[in-house]
Amino acid sequence: MSHHVSFNDLPQGGEKFEPAKGGKLINALGGVGALGILGSLYYFFASRDTFSYSWLFAFFFTFTFVVGGCFWILLHSASNSSWGVAVRRVWENLANMILPLAIFAVPLLLPSVQTHLYEWMNHHREAAHHVGEHAKDVKEALHHAAEANPHLHILVTKFGYMNLSTWFSWYTRFALFFLILWHIARTLRGKSLQQEQDGDIKHTMASRSFSCRWLLFYALTVTFAAYDWLVGLDYSWFSTMWGVYIFAGCAWASMGLTILVVTWLKSLGYLQKVVTDEHYHLMGKLLFAFTVFWAYIAFSQYFLIWYANITEETRFYLTRNTEGWRWVSIFIVAGHFVAPFLLLLSQPRKKKPAVISAVCIWILFMHLVDIYWNVIPERGPSLGVGVLVPGAWVQDVVALCAVFGTMGFLFLRGLAKYSLYPWRDPRLIESVNVVN
Amino acid sequence: MSTTLKRVHGYLAEFDSVQDLYHAAEQVRDAGYNRWDVHSPFPIHGMDAAMGNPRSKLPYLVFCGGITGTTVAFILQTVTQTNFWGSLGLTFVENIVETYPTIVQAKPTDIWTLPAFFPVMFELTILFSAFTTLFGLLAIIGLPRWNHPLFASKRFAKFSDDGFFVCIEARDPKFSQEGTKALLEKAGGRNIELVEDEI
Repeated sequence: MSHHVSFNDLPQGGEKFEPAKGGKLINALGGVGALGILGSLYYFFASRDTFSYSWLFAFFFTFTFVVGGCFWILLHSASNSSWGVAVRRVWENLANMILPLAIFAVPLLLPSVQTHLYEWMNHHREAAHHVGEHAKDVKEALHHAAEANPHLHILVTKFGYMNLSTWFSWYTRFALFFLILWHIARTLRGKSLQQEQDGDIKHTMASRSFSCRWLLFYALTVTFAAYDWLVGLDYSWFSTMWGVYIFAGCAWASMGLTILVVTWLKSLGYLQKVVTDEHYHLMGKLLFAFTVFWAYIAFSQYFLIWYANITEETRFYLTRNTEGWRWVSIFIVAGHFVAPFLLLLSQPRKKKPAVISAVCIWILFMHLVDIYWNVIPERGPSLGVGVLVPGAWVQDVVALCAVFGTMGFLFLRGLAKYSLYPWRDPRLIESVNVVN
Repeated sequence: MSTTLKRVHGYLAEFDSVQDLYHAAEQVRDAGYNRWDVHSPFPIHGMDAAMGNPRSKLPYLVFCGGITGTTVAFILQTVTQTNFWGSLGLTFVENIVETYPTIVQAKPTDIWTLPAFFPVMFELTILFSAFTTLFGLLAIIGLPRWNHPLFASKRFAKFSDDGFFVCIEARDPKFSQEGTKALLEKAGGRNIELVEDEI
């Protein structure tokens, strides 16, 4: 009540971020990214089989933050909420990283990478060779192959979705994922920037109706992307919980990243009057909600597969319950759910920026472990070299540096392009003075 | 002819608006009263702080209720469906499992069947927490009760329509017939009346 901030207390034109102020972190990320790209080039030619998995892991890990940022602006606009106006620009910038990220996705389009990652593509390509001999199309050729090798029969039944040749092929969807996410991110930030020119409420209204419509396409994009890139690693596996499981992790981790970015900006002297402890509390509550939601979904997926005990389904968990992976699985239960749950339970902890930021660092680490645990255990068995590929973790670190380092560098530098918050949003003052 | 014994319940003062009520609450808080309350037709944001109320004890009760639910569900299921307690040395418990084994889907009967018990553990956690929230709340605020002394005041009926009231109770150690009335007048209270409770 006493610390009410009015429009005139805030600088005209918003706050502009000067990259020189945060030079240490930005340069560090840039340096790590450059070294990572050099290392990646080396491994790409030296050991493409194992490095393909490293790249997929690093790319997908970074992708989850972009997708999460996209979700938070969509939800914020669709639910017509005002509290998040003060931090919305961070999400907008995060979501717009989809464009540079698309460059890092290009290696996944190379057949020489796909051949190590996606066994089903090898079968499809081989079947395509036999089209014309006895079969009129790829599906029929696969059908013939399945007579000799019954394991392939599942590829015939999954042909409608898992294929390289129809209008709804893997490649079409690949393009659609980036186009849809780019369209959402670009439109919502575009409206937000137009509002900075004229201060008109109609942009807020337009964002709301846009978000309500595009949430559906967003949900389909996340689900299909998670299927195409990760479930495709083992073509016999399937889980109806997978899309929402990945989504829960995306929203969780990107909220953690948002809190860290805001803390970093505040430590450099920005957003002092705009973001208060109340915002930390609100973001902390969402973080807590998604901690529980992720655990709920992760357990449901495990539970259904464990109880039903169907061979094709249990393979996923059997691989992750073998040797060292078993301890990673148990660590995820404790570190991804129990620890954040207990840490975020109390209100005072969520209101202290230092405490919740420390929790967020842990959250980013656990999200990294989660994605690693989802991608990498497929590598050894798929390449036929046992449970673990010795020494391949170095390649994982190199790929992570390349993608996450470079994207982090671009993201933080990109913050300088526009004001750090939508300074003419009609509900900014309501957000700045929020109490909960 | 009848005689009724009466006991002073406290002073009731009416206020015109939410703002007046809010500032009156701040003044009563700063005067150091403990046994008092405000009454309004709807919840008022920030009133907790204006009244100086401490944080509710209810979350601790609910936490204990939730933990109890988890434990009850765990014990109920493991006693009847696993040899977990038997393996800890409680062989008499194991007789239950041997008498009526419930082996489902060829799952093991040791503690590693735990995931199968999670849904019930989850549900009972929620159920016990919800019960503790409801009944704990009722216990803390002293409901249900037959009557309230404030109902003796005709004017007080407005509290559920358009009236904003502060009532300082006589059992407050700082209560005094003149001092309390003066405080309420200073705070802008109107129609100040001494509410009496029939005993």
